Amino acid sequence: MHHRSIHSRRHFLGQAGGGMAGLALSHLLARDGFGSMPTPRAELNGGLHHPARVKRIIQLFMNGGVSQMDTFDYKPELARLHGQKIGPKEKPEGQTGASGAVMKSPFEFKQHGQSGRWVSSVFPHQAKWVDEMAFLMAMTTKTSVHGPGSYMMNTGFLLPGFPCMGSWISYGLGSLTDNLPAFVVLPDVRGLPYNQKGNFSSAFLPSRHQGTIINAGSAQPVPDLFADPKHAFTGQEADAASLDLLQAMNRRHAGAHPDDTRLEARMASYELAAKMQLSAPEAFDLTSESAVTRAAYGLDDPVTGDFGRRCLLARRLVERGSRVVQVWSGPQGAVNNWDNHSSILTELPPIAASVDLPIAGLLGDLKSRGLLDDTLVIFTTEFGRTPFEQGSLGRDHNGNSFVTWMVGAGIKAGAAHGRSDDLGFKAAEGITYCYDLHATILHLMGVDHTKLTFRTSGVDRRLTDVHGHVVSEVLA
Amino acid sequence: MIRLVVIGLLTAALRAGASDFFTEKIEPLLKNRCYECHSHAAGKMKGGLTLDSKSGWEQGGDSGPTLVPGRPEESLLMKVVRWTDDDHQMPPKQPLPADEVALLEQWVATGAPDPRLAVAVEKPGSAEGDWWSLRPLVKPAVPTAAGNPLDGFIQAALTGRGLRPSPPADRRTLIRRVYFDLHGLAPTPEEVEAFVQSEDPQAYEMLVDRLLASPRYGERWARHWLDTIHFADTHGYEHDVFRPNAWRFRDYVIASFNRDTPWDRFIREQVAADVIFPDEPHLAVALGFLGAGNLDISAANTAPMQFEYLDRDDLVTQTMSSFVSTTAHCARCHDHKFDPVSQEDYFALQAVFAGITKGNINYYDDPSTTREQRRLSSVKAAIDAGDTTVLQSPEHEALVASWVQEQETAAPWVTVVPESFVSVQGASLERLSDDSVLSSGQLPDQDTYSITGRTDLQEITGFRIDLMVDDSLPRGGPGRAPNGNVHLSEFEVQVFRPGATMGEKLVLRRAVSDFDQAGGYDVTKTIDGDLKSSWAVNPKEGEPHYAVFELAAPLRLEDGGRLVFLLRQLQGGSHLLGRFRLAATTAPGTSLRALPSGVEMVLAKPAGERSADDRLALATYFLRQRTEAALAALPPPVTVWAAARSATTEDRGLITLAEPRLIRLLKRGDLAKPGAEVSPGALSAVTALPSRFDLPQAKDEAARRAALAHWLADPANPLTWRSIVNRVWHYHFGRGISDTPSDFGRMGGAPSHPEMIDWLAAWFRDDARGSLKALHQLIVTSEAYRQSSAPNPEAAEIDPENRLLWRMNRPRMDADTFRDSVLAASGRLDSAMGGPAVAHFTSRPGPQSTPVLDYDAFDRDSPGASRRSIYRVVWRAIADPFMEALDFPDLGQLSPVRGFSASALQALTLFNNGFVLHYSQHFAARLEKAGSTPEERIRAAFAICYQRPPAPEELAGAVALVDRHGLAAFCRVLFNSNEFLFVD
Repeated sequence: MHHRSIHSRRHFLGQAGGGMAGLALSHLLARDGFGSMPTPRAELNGGLHHPARVKRIIQLFMNGGVSQMDTFDYKPELARLHGQKIGPKEKPEGQTGASGAVMKSPFEFKQHGQSGRWVSSVFPHQAKWVDEMAFLMAMTTKTSVHGPGSYMMNTGFLLPGFPCMGSWISYGLGSLTDNLPAFVVLPDVRGLPYNQKGNFSSAFLPSRHQGTIINAGSAQPVPDLFADPKHAFTGQEADAASLDLLQAMNRRHAGAHPDDTRLEARMASYELAAKMQLSAPEAFDLTSESAVTRAAYGLDDPVTGDFGRRCLLARRLVERGSRVVQVWSGPQGAVNNWDNHSSILTELPPIAASVDLPIAGLLGDLKSRGLLDDTLVIFTTEFGRTPFEQGSLGRDHNGNSFVTWMVGAGIKAGAAHGRSDDLGFKAAEGITYCYDLHATILHLMGVDHTKLTFRTSGVDRRLTDVHGHVVSEVLA
Repeated sequence: MIRLVVIGLLTAALRAGASDFFTEKIEPLLKNRCYECHSHAAGKMKGGLTLDSKSGWEQGGDSGPTLVPGRPEESLLMKVVRWTDDDHQMPPKQPLPADEVALLEQWVATGAPDPRLAVAVEKPGSAEGDWWSLRPLVKPAVPTAAGNPLDGFIQAALTGRGLRPSPPADRRTLIRRVYFDLHGLAPTPEEVEAFVQSEDPQAYEMLVDRLLASPRYGERWARHWLDTIHFADTHGYEHDVFRPNAWRFRDYVIASFNRDTPWDRFIREQVAADVIFPDEPHLAVALGFLGAGNLDISAANTAPMQFEYLDRDDLVTQTMSSFVSTTAHCARCHDHKFDPVSQEDYFALQAVFAGITKGNINYYDDPSTTREQRRLSSVKAAIDAGDTTVLQSPEHEALVASWVQEQETAAPWVTVVPESFVSVQGASLERLSDDSVLSSGQLPDQDTYSITGRTDLQEITGFRIDLMVDDSLPRGGPGRAPNGNVHLSEFEVQVFRPGATMGEKLVLRRAVSDFDQAGGYDVTKTIDGDLKSSWAVNPKEGEPHYAVFELAAPLRLEDGGRLVFLLRQLQGGSHLLGRFRLAATTAPGTSLRALPSGVEMVLAKPAGERSADDRLALATYFLRQRTEAALAALPPPVTVWAAARSATTEDRGLITLAEPRLIRLLKRGDLAKPGAEVSPGALSAVTALPSRFDLPQAKDEAARRAALAHWLADPANPLTWRSIVNRVWHYHFGRGISDTPSDFGRMGGAPSHPEMIDWLAAWFRDDARGSLKALHQLIVTSEAYRQSSAPNPEAAEIDPENRLLWRMNRPRMDADTFRDSVLAASGRLDSAMGGPAVAHFTSRPGPQSTPVLDYDAFDRDSPGASRRSIYRVVWRAIADPFMEALDFPDLGQLSPVRGFSASALQALTLFNNGFVLHYSQHFAARLEKAGSTPEERIRAAFAICYQRPPAPEELAGAVALVDRHGLAAFCRVLFNSNEFLFVD
């Protein structure tokens, strides 16, 4: 179906090893199958539409809905109104129950850093980084239900079947390396988040842009990287001989079909696979990390070990050229995540402690390696929680207001944009949606969010749908 | 100062006339300054606001009303253009010059006159009617005489561009192509050789007929439809729960393709089989179409308004994209930006589906069962309604008479005379003259009575206890509880043979009563051995009741034998027997019934004394019992996941919508901004058909669906027929005549052969009468389809994308075809059809209702594991990574086309995934038997996978690998090779 001459392509492949603006061969190669695809431009530092500040992203996703007024959104009014029933009379859509009385935060808040950001006692380590962070203090969403809420924050749509941000970035910018997947997802080892793998789907984008799910607890973290040795006809030597014959047969076939770049793409994909086999195991091998690094991420502490290991993997992956790494905290379900319905006092501290030290460790590590110069770290969740108790000492879902922070390249350190109302119930000023967050992230990567489109079923789809403003208030 | 200017301009404006003022001053200003972000022309409506029509600013945007005519100071427009508000400054980059601000202020102050008509986009009835897909379907003349009319169109288009078709493909290529196309499987080497050798000029046509007659055809083409409508076996979303009954719809689709259901009928069945084909209730399975999509159980429970809204949106999107290739859902928040679909049209479609809910529905798979069920139900309804024409029909009269006779001649009940009667807890028991026993005195919480009695009967088949009323009891009894109720926990009978000191407990196998208390207090509880369960009679206290017990085996009672009845009353609350009497009978055990007291009384009268009402009461009682028993004895209904007015989900139970939900047009698609009520309908742009349904029963949801089904399937609907022929064309050629099979709007692909799509659509509708098999036959026998896919550099210069079909396209196998082909090559394909979906994973419980799936731990030799891919479980959001690697779609959304991708991860999957390796071993084992030397086996492998013999150097390369690493290593290479994966 595709008929461009391949002669120039072969010539190009022979020379492309050096990489254009750090762009992976795999990305250049894959664009052939589809006609027009975005092309990162060297003169824009790898951006599509304007110079890129950010080349890599680590997104930390707190599954279940982080309570903003118990972490980053200090609300002294809650103490004054504690116990008063002033919430909505009718159960709002998406809440699991009716609103109870106002409940003050059981945690102590203090101001931190030059910027004087208020942070509660559940995040003592992140508190040391507030002067590097830029906060979106009035994020809001269109639902208070986990499924649509998680889709919203990941894909920009309430409905399933739309590509997530990582897939869009993979599609738009590709990988920085041939050796690793462009978009990697590191779910909590205890299980997948709400929406299962739907949150990492490439949907209608080509399937190679979907998140590669790494099981950090598995001996073979990249799926199918090597054959199961129980098959006697596989193994290093047999694989090499088989691949040689395969490529010889494919070359012969391509010679008889000299007009089909898809055949070339598939042949190249096996070469890339072989390269990935060589380098991926090293990327996932943490044994070379120093004791200092291990301690900084909390690897040897059972509380922080899992999340810390995945943060460290995230650093190793972006360092080696993955574009987007998403690290999830918490599986779906009633426990072990941020969906603290029963008791904020007892449920929030353990999940907060499991991420707090590793996040600080990650930021410190990225900074000391100079990676923060072109890496962006994002901390977010699908929605916030109510300032009211719900017949227990927990808080219910609240899509009206929550907090996201960003650290890294292009970010105005110590900034805070937006404000929720005095209870932290609803975003009040400087309101931002996922569209604005996504637009801002793409902007930092040199992408105009209105121009990164993919035509499907008659619609030019965007990550930001028909919305989105770059939040310049948090940009350096 | 400003005020002075304003007054000056105002005067000028009044002179010029308000309309002219707008046209000359305001409209250019808006165009110049605002349209970039707020107009249909720019395709942008930032903040939800458009300014290129009066209705645009009248509706306002997300921040509220744009302006208040006559009141500039209260108008948002003025606030934002003055840049006084930090959050709202328009235009955003720099403020307007003062004179333009003043013009706007003046315009608002004078009442904001705006002569523009409606919206600037073209509307139905204007130029819109001329859009290709909406034009009435008229069959054009075939341009050049060719054997196959399609070639007439294609060759004319090629000639017009100086192109020629490619030569025919050779027979090996052709048979491989048409097999993969129609069956999704390769031909066997024998089939290839027979076809290649055949000298019959009709060999290809005969092959096509054979392929279309095979059930493999339905399995292949059903998959396309299931993709198109995003059918999967789970809910998706937060609780991605399995739908164990979804598969019946998949089987229905396969069967529909195989039996070649005409397309218009296929539409009607899926949208409204229950209404349109009431005499074929087994077609209820077709309503699985309506249940195909996602279901957000969590939102359904906690955010019902948004859930219902988005769930209906899913149905509208699916129905309109799949059947008429229209993106109606793009008009949810505003009139469609590009196509003539108004927001009202969209909500009219939501209204069609406003009366149904997704879930399991029951139906009878067997039409004869259905007929019987309907007959019995109508008899029962007539009985319940007291319809004497049914109750006293000759047939029923005879049945009733025979039953009455049986009752009259049955052996009578003989009272067991109590000889001793003891209350364990000390109540006073007294024998009355009629040999009943009355309890009084002590009123314990629980009690057990032991009654010893005798009877002259010799062959006892059953017992009876009468609970009797008595004035001494609370509310007349029959129990001693304050409300007169009684709880009998266990009814136990022992026989004491003459001289025996130990009793034998008798086995009671059946208990019936004249009345049971609701809530599980039925009489069977008295013989279940469970002391905690009991029979009771609330709320029918104050009336006599009785129960009858059938013995498992008749009891021979010798002279001097005694019966001991243990009546356990352990409910508590003094629910004790007040007055009761025991009896026994020798009537056949199966005839023992407990008749309501009224019926008993009638039967007790001599036949001649029964009134007409008495006779009716007997008939009513007997016929109702008989009909209910017959209904209960029908085979159980089967279940399909679908959507209906009444449906069940495990999580939510049975949900029945008494009437459709009220649908209002939502401004900006926002639930918080409801507008006017919208009645059910479809697209106004299809002018040949009424766009709003005129339904006699406005609240009849089924009529709404039927009306939409008829609208969709109408011969005059130009979209429907173009849609399906294009969809079929897409799968045959890898690309549709329009390359957006689910969007024929302005953003969709224009048809490469506009006259051919019309001809084909009209031919399919009129000549082929909606037969898909006829359509396939016409297409695959065309020269265009049969031509070579070989390159032609000169043609590629002129038409690089091959839109004009100067050669055949070369598809890569989709995921299902690849998997099925590997199974077939290895000789392991299990061709069993239908039935519950096969899981290709192991699962264990997850933290909530979604399980954890493991696709690697699956036993690939387990039963059903090697069936065709259409029969596997498609878990919507926990997809099989192997299938995903080959672009199996995310069925969270509709998938009218499959993608193509190539990546390192795909290569790793095909090279190393357990599926490929496992079946490489099976393939090798098959090949071992196919020859005695490596060369022979390799030749067999080439014939199976490539449908051709190997070249000498290919053979040499393969032998070298086989010698060193075994046959399975070579099988692995074949399964990874481009020649295997691509179809010329």
